[in-house]
Amino acid sequence: MSKHDSTPHLPRRKRSGRLSLAMMGASAFGLTACGQPPQEEQITDIEFDQPRSFQSVEDCVAENVYTRSACEDAYEASLKEVPRYSTLEECEAENGEGACTAPTDEQSQAATGSTGGSWFMPAMMGYMVGSMMSNTNRGRSFERVYQEPVYRNRQNQGNWNTAANQATQRVTQRNDAMRSSVVQNRQAASQRSGFGSRSSARGGWGS
Amino acid sequence: MLRIDIPERSNWKALAHELGFHFHTIDGEPYWKEDAYYQFTMEQVERDIEAPTEAVHEMCMELVDKVCHSNALMQRLALPEHMWDSIHNSWKSGQPHLYGRMDFAYSGDGPAKLLELNYDTPTSLYEAGFFQWVWLEQAIAQGILPRHADQYNSIQEHLLNAMAHLGDRIEARTLYFSCIKENTEERATVHYLQDVAVQAGLKAPFIYMEDIGITTGAEHFVDLDNHAIHALFKLYPWEEMADDAFGEVIPQLNTHWFEPPWKAILSNKGILPLLWEYFEGHPNLLPAFFEDANSPPLPAGWVRKPFFSREGSNVELITPAGQREAVGGPYTDSPWIRQAYHPMPRFGNNHALIGSWVVGDRACGMGIREDVGRITKDSSCFVPHAIV
Repeated sequence: MSKHDSTPHLPRRKRSGRLSLAMMGASAFGLTACGQPPQEEQITDIEFDQPRSFQSVEDCVAENVYTRSACEDAYEASLKEVPRYSTLEECEAENGEGACTAPTDEQSQAATGSTGGSWFMPAMMGYMVGSMMSNTNRGRSFERVYQEPVYRNRQNQGNWNTAANQATQRVTQRNDAMRSSVVQNRQAASQRSGFGSRSSARGGWGS
Repeated sequence: MLRIDIPERSNWKALAHELGFHFHTIDGEPYWKEDAYYQFTMEQVERDIEAPTEAVHEMCMELVDKVCHSNALMQRLALPEHMWDSIHNSWKSGQPHLYGRMDFAYSGDGPAKLLELNYDTPTSLYEAGFFQWVWLEQAIAQGILPRHADQYNSIQEHLLNAMAHLGDRIEARTLYFSCIKENTEERATVHYLQDVAVQAGLKAPFIYMEDIGITTGAEHFVDLDNHAIHALFKLYPWEEMADDAFGEVIPQLNTHWFEPPWKAILSNKGILPLLWEYFEGHPNLLPAFFEDANSPPLPAGWVRKPFFSREGSNVELITPAGQREAVGGPYTDSPWIRQAYHPMPRFGNNHALIGSWVVGDRACGMGIREDVGRITKDSSCFVPHAIV
């Protein structure tokens, strides 16, 4: 989330500017924080565009889809997420020979908040920018650019998108195990009530 | 940090019903209270709650990594062996998590002390993230609070961003939502998360935990129509799932869980002595140790908690002055930890507990619950806060 308050003349806020419920309760509900221009309207729907990939801030600006500041914010956010390695060898071992580079001072500043330190990163293969468009019953639209700043990069981890692929190699094991452990009754294709058996005794699970 | 009496909004009960907050009163006792609020300064929020929350979260992530690489630590935390691979793989592959809540003892003075983590099935989310925010906006609009009043709360906004991130990574942008049957409060919390998911552009069907099925040859758990469940959010704890009839099947199927299996490490009170072992002396941690067969009877100034417990059940404490307090409950079948007693701040007859929310990897808001006892239970009241 960008740190810029949408109303810079106001003191910074620790709370969100606008919240709504889409379906909970009797009707859709929307409220805007005090100190923002009053908006009587309600959000009727939200669209996500396909996030696009850009090679550089200039590329992103040239597309004429996002403002320069949105392009810059997204680029900075993506730098913070880029994996960092202490040696060129480590970086190349994971990303391939010739695929790594030392960051420029600007990149280092954006990624770590300082230009010091020596580390390596994959040469940026582009970064993603997407936007969320909220339409209202008054025909107005608000755009919010999103990147992926909610999560920090953790260097020890693989790419979650590949997690599903590894699992398919276990199909045979799984089917054997399924046959032996749970499916007793050949008549019943599906089994249920395999979760929650002790719930009635304890009432709830939240904490 | 002050507790300040103020008038209630005139219409709040009707509004609560309109907004799906049906558990504002539980068994005739108020759960949501707005005849008072907790007042903080910006510095208290940012320096004493927000920054420590992010710091402790990072320590926790470091420990998850250590535990994932050590069978000995998995064993120490009493994690069932058939889950070790799932735990390890979900962490190594970088499966994102959604949220968690840290409970702190904080009086406005001196560092907040971590009492425990609720990193698997935290509740009071709707109250903190949405209803509390609406309270602040309306209290300002009705002149109950000054115009410059603020609140430490961008929880829902962060949830929306996290959900958008997940939506790009799960099959057909579909995330199933689940909890057990016959629990109004949990169903409401899940309903709220479904709402946020829909706002983030996901499809968010609901299924009760008891209705989740398996089918011969299928690679995923299935819904009532036998459709594959590729990804599922459950308000149902890992230690239960592991012990359930389908527990043995979990590692063999490709369903992605939220929270992911690696959260089992952090929803276990055994993480508290580990935190102390690895980060001893950190200002936001309390000394904590594993209890074993040679532990003496509980000395004064210590608290005893089971590895797995919810809502304060089976917690026992003796204050330094020798006062004993205990809550009964069903959680007697797991090991125990001991944690140094730290007094909860008292405001009149109430002890206040800070619940500090983490969404993804960001600290983003808080909710305060109070109780006449020193142990916060499911009967504790939720009281809103403001930065003034």
